[in-house]
Amino acid sequence: MALIVTLIFLSSGLFLGWSMGANDASNAFGTAVATRMVRFPTAAFLCSTFLIIGAVTSGSGAAEGLSQLGAINALPGAFTAALAAALTVAWMSAVGLPASTGQAVVGSIIGWNLFSGSPTDLGTLGRIAATWVVSPVLGAIFAMLLYKLLVAWISLTKPHLLSLDRNTRSGLLLAGIFGSYALGANGIGNVMGFFVEASPFRDLNLGPFEVSSVEQLFLIGAIAVAVGVYTYSRRVMMTVGDSLLTLSPLAALVVVVSHSLVLFLFSSTALESLLAGWGLPTIPLLPVSGSQAVIGSVLGIGLLQGMKGVRQIRWGVLGGIASGWITTPLIAAVIGFVLLFVVQNVFGQEVYQASRPLAVAVLAAGPAAL
Amino acid sequence: MANETPPLFGKTRFLEGLIDEFLDKITEGVIVGELGLKAYLCGQEGEEICLEKLHQLIEIKRRCSELRRTIVTMLYTEMLLPDARGDVLRLLGSLFALLDDMGDDFEELMIVQPQRLPEFGADFAELTAMAIRSVQAVLVAARTFFRTPAAVREHINEVRVFEDETDKLASRIKRRIVAADLCFEQRTLLRETAAMLDALADKAENIGDDLSIFAIKRSL
Repeated sequence: MALIVTLIFLSSGLFLGWSMGANDASNAFGTAVATRMVRFPTAAFLCSTFLIIGAVTSGSGAAEGLSQLGAINALPGAFTAALAAALTVAWMSAVGLPASTGQAVVGSIIGWNLFSGSPTDLGTLGRIAATWVVSPVLGAIFAMLLYKLLVAWISLTKPHLLSLDRNTRSGLLLAGIFGSYALGANGIGNVMGFFVEASPFRDLNLGPFEVSSVEQLFLIGAIAVAVGVYTYSRRVMMTVGDSLLTLSPLAALVVVVSHSLVLFLFSSTALESLLAGWGLPTIPLLPVSGSQAVIGSVLGIGLLQGMKGVRQIRWGVLGGIASGWITTPLIAAVIGFVLLFVVQNVFGQEVYQASRPLAVAVLAAGPAAL
Repeated sequence: MANETPPLFGKTRFLEGLIDEFLDKITEGVIVGELGLKAYLCGQEGEEICLEKLHQLIEIKRRCSELRRTIVTMLYTEMLLPDARGDVLRLLGSLFALLDDMGDDFEELMIVQPQRLPEFGADFAELTAMAIRSVQAVLVAARTFFRTPAAVREHINEVRVFEDETDKLASRIKRRIVAADLCFEQRTLLRETAAMLDALADKAENIGDDLSIFAIKRSL
């Protein structure tokens, strides 16, 4: 009976995983699919495969970051918070807007904090909110620089139209695979982190391999993400890659790479150690948003073209996306608060415990998932 | 004849080779066509030489047609150049149509066989050379499009200059033909021949105009 209850609670995490797959796959493959350089079935297959690999092999290590924001300490509370975040992202996906799963999770945690009377670390919240501005700005700057560099390289080497097409396609596939791996490794914490402490699975010993309960949990979550990619991500991919600004395949590649660079710079502990080792100032590790970095990069490409590019940007679509960035955490917080009230008072579930921290939400499992 | 079955690996290079071969063949066809037209219109060569050039041109057209079909099929089946595919196919189609029209005009000339008059030989040689220069300039522009789209504009300008000169030459020849002491049939046939050569340059200019748009779309 306890197992069934746990599995029921787990369902909201799977729903959040599905929502994340539907929305965040566009960061890795959106521009490639929208520019018709990669077919959607190919993108969906590669994205699903590599995000599952990323989630299972690297996902379990990610358990820091936004947990400072709030520690959900009861399984029904975790279920409800995950459900609120999932509903928010699913709704954004339904209207074709690239929302940030991390923002939705932040919103739902704040909703839980408000409901349970737990304090919200305003310093952490401010730092996270700042990244929502920094991320697109950096994405735009990187995209501009990268595009200039690529154009200079192409002018120098004069590749044949077909060779350029092949190289761009290969670049898009590699960047997409890398992005998918990062999505799985960093984003799975957002999806299943709520339930790590309550995993219904036991460690499995398969000869030379040992599969921990957390890895099994993350595998299930990653499969839910993969289902989201296959079933519902196409529309958001088209918004990212085509609705805001019609991108050339080369620009599409620049967008994906600059988005990855933004994530790498602000999430790589290896880079931080390297810079520190050389006595250089380190780049602060901030949970930046992949979705916002992509949109910033697309804008950067448009702005690089001068007034012509500015006219080509569909500002109405951008307005919709930007308003989504503001409304996503708010909606998630409101839905979370209301659902917590319902779960506690209608279903009689204990959504928080006054003293015992049960599941430190692994929310910000990784910056890329934001 | 090249093997046209695409390899498992290296499809891009294979297709690049096909496009290069297509452009080479078009260039070859234009040279053969020029030689044939000049041979007939200048009245220096016998009919059998002209017919030989015509057969050579027909054979080149056949090969170009095969190549174009293979390129079209490969571009679609391999999903290559999703953003520029339409432009590339249109360009190759237009270039083939240009050679095809040139071949048809030459064939028609050999059927109708207007009288070859020595006093117009030099004029027709000059007109043919100028029209062919505009065609050759557009072929250079087409080759440039595949590697340096930004440089296409310079060649397109050459096409326009040559086309303009062809117009002037054609107009001058037509006036001379009309003023000459010839029967109505001869005057009509010679005037139509001049118009045919003029039209060749016009077609080259039209392709150049399309090409300049394709190049703008590809500019980085």
